[in-house]
Amino acid sequence: MSLRIFLLLAGLLASIASHAQRAAPAPAATPPPALSTAAERVYEMAKPRILQIRTLLQAAGRQSSLGSGFLVTADGLAITNYHVVSRFALDPRTYRLEYLAPDGAKGALKLLAIDVAHDLAVVKVERAGLPFFDFDPRAIAGRLPKGERIYAMGNPLDLGFTIIEGTYNGLVDKSYDERIHFSGAINPGMSGGPVAGNDGRIVGVNVAKSVGGEQVGFLVPAKFAAALLERAVKGPPLVIDKAREEVGRQLDAWQAVFYESLKTQGFRSATHGPYRGLESSAPWMTCWASTNTDQLPKPRAAINTTRCSSATQIFVSDRILTGRVDLSYSYYKSIDLNAFQFAKELSQRATGSGFDSRGGKRLTEQECRDDFVAAGTGAHPPLRVTWCMRAYREFEGLYNVTLLALTQDRSREALLAQLTMQGVSHANAVALGRRFLEAIEWQR
Amino acid sequence: MAAVMWIEVLSRNGEVAARERIEASEASIGRAFDNDVVIDDPHVAPHHLRVSRGEDGELVAEDLGTLNGLFTEHGAARVPRLSLAKEPGIRIGRTILRVHDAAHPVPAEKLLTPPRAHARWAAGLGVALFVMLLAMSWLNLTTEPSANHLLLPLLGLITVIALWTSLWAVLSRVFFGQARFALQLRIAVTACIALVLWDQLTESLSYSLAWRDIAEYGGLGAWAVLAAACWGHLHAIGPKHMRAAMGLVVALIAAGAMLQYFGKSETRKLVGQRATLGDLRPPVFRMLPLASADDFFRKAEGAKQKVDLARVKDPLPGGLLSEFDPSD
Repeated sequence: MSLRIFLLLAGLLASIASHAQRAAPAPAATPPPALSTAAERVYEMAKPRILQIRTLLQAAGRQSSLGSGFLVTADGLAITNYHVVSRFALDPRTYRLEYLAPDGAKGALKLLAIDVAHDLAVVKVERAGLPFFDFDPRAIAGRLPKGERIYAMGNPLDLGFTIIEGTYNGLVDKSYDERIHFSGAINPGMSGGPVAGNDGRIVGVNVAKSVGGEQVGFLVPAKFAAALLERAVKGPPLVIDKAREEVGRQLDAWQAVFYESLKTQGFRSATHGPYRGLESSAPWMTCWASTNTDQLPKPRAAINTTRCSSATQIFVSDRILTGRVDLSYSYYKSIDLNAFQFAKELSQRATGSGFDSRGGKRLTEQECRDDFVAAGTGAHPPLRVTWCMRAYREFEGLYNVTLLALTQDRSREALLAQLTMQGVSHANAVALGRRFLEAIEWQR
Repeated sequence: MAAVMWIEVLSRNGEVAARERIEASEASIGRAFDNDVVIDDPHVAPHHLRVSRGEDGELVAEDLGTLNGLFTEHGAARVPRLSLAKEPGIRIGRTILRVHDAAHPVPAEKLLTPPRAHARWAAGLGVALFVMLLAMSWLNLTTEPSANHLLLPLLGLITVIALWTSLWAVLSRVFFGQARFALQLRIAVTACIALVLWDQLTESLSYSLAWRDIAEYGGLGAWAVLAAACWGHLHAIGPKHMRAAMGLVVALIAAGAMLQYFGKSETRKLVGQRATLGDLRPPVFRMLPLASADDFFRKAEGAKQKVDLARVKDPLPGGLLSEFDPSD
């Protein structure tokens, strides 16, 4: 199994805050005295500018998820994460939004704009003449030095407003999405909270943390927040009943850019035993290899697997994560299996990875087509191919697609190739799928 | 020569309990001891029935004015007079009688099955089945070979066949008088061989034609094999009540098959098809010509149309996240 970093969106855990509270950890630790002055100053300045953003269940009037946000204009516009307001955006009849300021003020929030791809939203507080944050121009230009102290704020686990000192560590390497690597402890409930520099100007927005690592957090760069704010100020406001269509539009636009960029980055041919298959040259497609040769009992067929993943992940709703592309190749060579046994071994292995299950009824049932295909002449082996797709019920024109291909030129060795695409348009899926099939070759 | 008639009194099980040869031109039937045929049935009159020859030599039964009357064997309507030329059976009270003319045709002599023939067949087929299954599990073996792994399922199957055959043998003993275990075993083993072959055929065809529904719904064919096997077993027991019993068996099997079919189509509707290549065979089993990539993606459009339709047909309700689960 390849090593993977799993991102967990902080807001997702907000609703289990009660469990965390039961564990009753010590109250948020105060920073060590030597460093306290700067953090104290930043928090003092930020205090009237930060908010807790609650999603309430209309019927019960109680919170169903919690996040944070911060004011960016004098007339009450605030930035938060899209995932903090996603329940309300997708189902405004069941949920409503409310803010809680550190001074105890409470009130309704209006949702003005969303940016699903960067996980941002602009909300409006009905209060005028409020103090607000400025964006750090150095951060927007991407000129912040690595190692600079920055301060993440928010309301973790509903324990109260908190400031956490951490380190700016530049943009995450090998990532399609631009994300700032923040070394500091951010926690569920802080989603959408501001991250400011020494001078109290915004560097980024809390969004996620790594589950596998310690104190590895991720921020949305300030420039995307500034861009969305500009759109919210100038553009027409979001019609809340049409928010779902807007999410669909943004997902569609995202995948169009993503697949175009995949194409621009180019493809190369990678060797898998005596076969060759498609590999992306994009730096953010990370690949891992595994083998079964060291397994006991001794395997009867050698399997060498390469898995590449874009590791892109877009949060749409509690039930839908989308936007990933995986490419995997397994080269099978029989050690002492005969042709029938080898075919049986392949049948047992050739099942699509099930990362679709999370969507449940939010996707249609899966529909598949099978055939024997010659993707080209000459070195192209005949293939047994299966194409399966599910449609997103809420978003027209977006699908999850699995394409399986098995070479059929040898009876005791084979290449099993799999391409999975989440949230892709049919045209993009077919284009990449065709490229994928045509790249499978016998190279000897 | 004076015509002879035979009067048969049937037992409750439908077997002939008594058979009287009557050489006179007419015979009287009833409970009284002055009759030609005496019947111990409280619902039969002392002098119930007269069987005589009509002018054209045809046998005719006549009700002698009784309380419970005269019926054809299966009839519900009382008749005063009954011609026996075509339908030899009559019912009086709770007793069934059959009156046959000496000229009544009998079926041709049946060939005697040589002793132990069924046993030999059953043994032969059993060995064939055993070898087939052993070969099959050998061809499906992808882990380290182990005798347990190969033989244990076979042992299970042998037990099932033995139980199944015993059940039919007991039924046969009850209704036919003979267990005929060897014959029942032969039928059961034949059915098993048919099942195995059917299974292999559907799986192979499903691969060869790249048509997953063959394997998916091939299981329905197994129900037909089961029905045929039950027919064989029932036929061996005896043709009496065959139609009713077969009707029952067919109804049960049809119900089973329907249940399986609806189960499958429901899963298909809820979850859809699985992203798998199905049960694969060595590449030489392919029967379809290779499609071009263009053809394949054109075919795959069908999947798109289907999910698009499903999306429109069954849209999500307005409340997208209306189910309340804070623990999520």
